[in-house]
Amino acid sequence: MKLGSVLLALVIAGSTAGAQQVAEAPHVAGCEEYAPGDFITPHISDSHCIDVPGFPRFWEVHEVVLPRWTPVHIGGATIDLSPTKHLVFLLLAAVLISLILIGAARAHQNHTHEVGRPKGFASGIEAMVLYIRNEVAIPNLGPHGEGYAPYILALFFFILTLNLIGLVPFGSTATGNISVTATLAIITFIVVETAGIRANGLGYLSTIFYWNKDLPVLMRVPMFVLMTPIEIVGKFTKPFALAIRLFANMTAGHIVVLALIGLVFAFKSYALGAAPLAAAVGIMMLELFVSFLQAFIFSLLASVFIGQMREGHH
Amino acid sequence: MRTLARSFALVALSAMPAAAEPASKNLLEPNYGLMVWTLVIFVVLAFILARFAFGPITKAVEAREKALEDAINAAQRDREEAARILAEHRAALDASRGEAQKLIAEARVAAERVRAELIEQARAEQAAMIARARQEIEGEKTNAIAQLRREAVDLAIAGASKVVERNLDQTANRQLVESFLAGLTSDSVAASR
Repeated sequence: MKLGSVLLALVIAGSTAGAQQVAEAPHVAGCEEYAPGDFITPHISDSHCIDVPGFPRFWEVHEVVLPRWTPVHIGGATIDLSPTKHLVFLLLAAVLISLILIGAARAHQNHTHEVGRPKGFASGIEAMVLYIRNEVAIPNLGPHGEGYAPYILALFFFILTLNLIGLVPFGSTATGNISVTATLAIITFIVVETAGIRANGLGYLSTIFYWNKDLPVLMRVPMFVLMTPIEIVGKFTKPFALAIRLFANMTAGHIVVLALIGLVFAFKSYALGAAPLAAAVGIMMLELFVSFLQAFIFSLLASVFIGQMREGHH
Repeated sequence: MRTLARSFALVALSAMPAAAEPASKNLLEPNYGLMVWTLVIFVVLAFILARFAFGPITKAVEAREKALEDAINAAQRDREEAARILAEHRAALDASRGEAQKLIAEARVAAERVRAELIEQARAEQAAMIARARQEIEGEKTNAIAQLRREAVDLAIAGASKVVERNLDQTANRQLVESFLAGLTSDSVAASR
């Protein structure tokens, strides 16, 4: 509990310091320019610069310009593959969660030989893995759906790590970037449709073309004409909702926290500043919860969609 | 209060420029490069995690569950085995207890028989002794009677001799003996011997 409050205080302090420094720091060449006084937009948007803590004065923000590569032309599209702030955090999260989970797996292998079960941190990770696998993934994926469980687990832990890294001082929330959430949703869409094709074979077509054999033939044709576009739209709304839900939740939380911290500076009074600061601490705690919740919801819905599609809903 | 109002105005102002230039920073505008990177990172991460983290963890947990199940089954088996052995032992104990009872009964019967025999023997011996004693007593009695008889004869003779001695000088007796002696021959003396 005490540690938690200290951490939260540090988070607030870091964000606050960051906000102040970004607002006041001289502009570094190569970084995006923002309207003066606007410290929320740079925090929630991607950029070609990354904020790093100073040394030894860690509360000072230094901007490091990331390299820019010439955009690649594929077909008619121009793709700029230059590293950005969110890409750095994506990689960081991937490495971090790999180390944690592979470390936990190692501990499992070692301890299973010695005492039959892991202890401490690995045991906690195991509880999360088992919960997501046995309570979220497998019941929703349907019979013989265990093969998709690693995908659901990877989704959960990756999103959770990205969300939590965004709450750390100098961190940035990659899941607050529509490109990241949209890509995760597109991957989910592909996995869902592939699962449908693998489970139902030709029967998969009935999830696109509405041809209900229970209806009289006269009704079937108009229903086909009416329902088929709805089915097709339905296929795309699910991943779209996934992408927007995660993006909006993560962005909104950060905007609220930053707006509350902004109020502290706007008030220019210690007495008045205490109230928004307390509110910011509360929202920060809520954000901590939302980080877990959104990771959970994304993976839960992904497994539900896969399960529905495998079942073949007609 | 005025500070508060001014602050809100300041916040509103600070928010406005961001809204004023949506073209430069549209949060909903996708960055295709980042999308490609996200795709690559997630796919690689999913494969690495599935191969090196979730697989081993699931395997370890399943192995542990299996080990637990085996242990429970083994315990069940052992308990059944123990119950069976206990029943066996109990049966053996009962059997040996019966055996012991039988042995004791047999021993008792044997002892009884031996005792009866001994008593019988003792009784027979006693009877024999009594018979012998009786016989001896009888013999002794006969002897004693004979002896007594002889004594009595002697006494009688002694008494008689006294009587005879006293009556010897009487005339009648003298005559009797003399007549006896008169009728006596040497042959009749030899025959009377």
